[in-house]
Amino acid sequence: MAIEKTDVVIVGMGAVGGVMAAELGKAGLKVIGLERGPRLKTADFQLDELRYFQRKDLRPSPKTQPVTWRPNANAATIRLPQLDYGNQAGGGTVHYGAVSWRLHEDDFRARTQTIERYGLSAIPQDSSLADWPLSYHDLESFYDKAEYDIGVAGKAGNIQGRKIEGGNPFEAPRQREYPLPPLTKDQPSILFEAGAQKLGLHPFSTPHAILSQPYKGRPACVYCTYCQAFGCYIGAKSSILVAKLPEADATGNVIIKTGAMCYRVNSRGKRVTGVSYYGPDGSDNTIEAEIVVLGTFIYDNTRLLLLSKTDTFPNGLANSSGEVGRHLMTHVMPNVFVGFDDRHVNTYMGPSAQKYTVDDFNADNFDHGGLGFIRGSQISVGTPNLEGGPISFSTAAPPPGVPRWGASYRDYLAKYFTRFAAMVAQTETLPYADQTIDLDPAVRDQWGLPAPRLTYDWRRPNETATVEFMMKKMEEIGRAMGGNLVWRGPLSPGMPGAHHEGGTRMGNDPNTSVVNHYGQSWDVHNLFIVGSSTFPSMSGFNPTLTIEALAYMSADAIANKYKKSPGALL
Amino acid sequence: MSEHDEGRRAFIVGAVGAGAVASTALVQTAYAKTQKAKTVTAKTPTAVEAADRAVEAVEGHGVFFNDEHAATVEAFAERLMPGAPGKPGARDANVINYIDLALAGAYADQQDFYRRGLAQLDAYCRKTHNQPFVKLSAAQQDEVIGALEQGKASEFEFPTAQAFFNTLRAHTMEGMFADPVYGGNRDFAGWRLVGFPGAQLFYTQADLANQQAFTRAPITGLQARAKAHSKGA
Repeated sequence: MAIEKTDVVIVGMGAVGGVMAAELGKAGLKVIGLERGPRLKTADFQLDELRYFQRKDLRPSPKTQPVTWRPNANAATIRLPQLDYGNQAGGGTVHYGAVSWRLHEDDFRARTQTIERYGLSAIPQDSSLADWPLSYHDLESFYDKAEYDIGVAGKAGNIQGRKIEGGNPFEAPRQREYPLPPLTKDQPSILFEAGAQKLGLHPFSTPHAILSQPYKGRPACVYCTYCQAFGCYIGAKSSILVAKLPEADATGNVIIKTGAMCYRVNSRGKRVTGVSYYGPDGSDNTIEAEIVVLGTFIYDNTRLLLLSKTDTFPNGLANSSGEVGRHLMTHVMPNVFVGFDDRHVNTYMGPSAQKYTVDDFNADNFDHGGLGFIRGSQISVGTPNLEGGPISFSTAAPPPGVPRWGASYRDYLAKYFTRFAAMVAQTETLPYADQTIDLDPAVRDQWGLPAPRLTYDWRRPNETATVEFMMKKMEEIGRAMGGNLVWRGPLSPGMPGAHHEGGTRMGNDPNTSVVNHYGQSWDVHNLFIVGSSTFPSMSGFNPTLTIEALAYMSADAIANKYKKSPGALL
Repeated sequence: MSEHDEGRRAFIVGAVGAGAVASTALVQTAYAKTQKAKTVTAKTPTAVEAADRAVEAVEGHGVFFNDEHAATVEAFAERLMPGAPGKPGARDANVINYIDLALAGAYADQQDFYRRGLAQLDAYCRKTHNQPFVKLSAAQQDEVIGALEQGKASEFEFPTAQAFFNTLRAHTMEGMFADPVYGGNRDFAGWRLVGFPGAQLFYTQADLANQQAFTRAPITGLQARAKAHSKGA
């Protein structure tokens, strides 16, 4: 059993860990980063749909790293058949579609915004919707840093309050333009733009952390389609693996240990002393550290706290509030598909996820009066399953009347694979206290640890009303795009969708939240929990850029405030 | 093509080639297997012909399936994705070879699922038609597959009829559309069917703006990339 000492140990080398390791290393702190998966290279990545899309090579295996799910506390538990988060250095950003949003101003104050505009009764009684403990303006400079550091392509819609043609008119004010211009429009984008404009909507190129031009020594995107689900084979996709880990290495202060599975955060009283982890050879190791940062996917941020209970914290480390594991949120992803008889669309070209977007029905960008729901979704055009190859296409529902196999299915595939586009409404779901992550009493993973168990069902009145509304909007856009065939994809039976949030909620009150807005535990001041697990509400936007902005902010607070005066930052 | 583009392309080819080295062993295994399989005539047999010659016609298996199981899976896959003139199907794509290799490798944990599923399928066909699946007419085979899909076939416990159907369907689609390096999609049959150009390293601005089918470059796969790299391209 090896024991090492360091200033900071970070669990998870993904969006949070990569940013914080590089930034804390630059600030002169000695950092050890633990990563349970491998550290791959750009040269490892193949143009192989079977391996990465279908067999999910860059995700955790449901067999060895199971996650279980039940729709409610009385229902039977099943193992989730597939897991959509990262399992290597760089985390989910290695395989992500790289869609990079700043949240809206009202996403940070969804509760207050709703009450002011529609009254308290508009919030479902059982929802735990809460404002964030910080505003968009508190985070703006860190969004800016993330975009310029990592490399994001897009068109500003609002620079310091001035509306900019071609960008998202609903975006929050930014201090300056994106570092890189938008990616080249492909056929689905061109059709979606024209269709949405016909309906009076405001389409624009989705901001992507994909290089539209060479940037910081990395090459520009080649539009090969092997994007979402894949590692980028030339490093043009701005993953943490290529954008931040080399920076962390260059500081000389960061050691990244791969194949290292953290199973416990060690503590004495109200202070963490480090972590224990299993090495790739099964060895049991300990790191002693002044500061512990948890930056894993939300399942493990919660699981680690629950596994690290002590006499001081019998319900889980840093859980005197009882809030650890609660308010699980995920994006519902309803699809509408569009087929064209008179032209090719070649959806398989270009970035595969959420190519072009309308933000008209997201957040509080539209009047919800009389609609029966609050909040909304980003509506985008792209590929089925966010991936443009033929295996992906074969998993998407064919139009009504076309069977899933046989000669007519074959003919449908042959005709429409290149004459097809998919839309998705990435729908915000509200937080509910009874949607939870805890430890499965029966299922264990390859390390013998209890599997994370999700109790979750998105099919609540607010969410089903939102999804139905968005389906209709997408059908309207599909017809305006000139599609001969416009049809809905099936909805999941309550299962968690994409982009999980919650479990270690941030807030202003130690009694109702786990961490403050720096991710610092209210209970344990040298423990920081960072990532989408801290989001009090989720927005209809992809979370990664916000996760990264929060990581920059936490690193800044540790380096410039906590280091000088260890203790409660707030 | 400008000098810049040439340089970029050379860089890209090098990058992919280097990446391909990692899976050399896999490539060799699958490649040897593919070579061993004799080329099946492109002519699509009628259902009766298919049934008659089913057992002896099964080629490109041998790592996992026995002859009887291979014949059944091949016939089943062919009904899911039937070939027709100008429209390659599962047999043309050598889907059976893909599934056979997968069950001996990446899907080894599903061997028992297949054995049990095939035994149940056989029991169901004998009960309803007094014949094994491969001896049924195409219409009867479709009727059986439909019953599985709907979960209406008796004789199934584990796997359930629907689970068995869904798995065979998914694996058939994989064998049609996965890179040929995995042993199916023979001669890019699946990609030719749908008009997918495969592992293209890049698309140009003109490609992105084009409303027609992509024809600028030939269909390509991972083996071609690996070979180009090994020749120092």
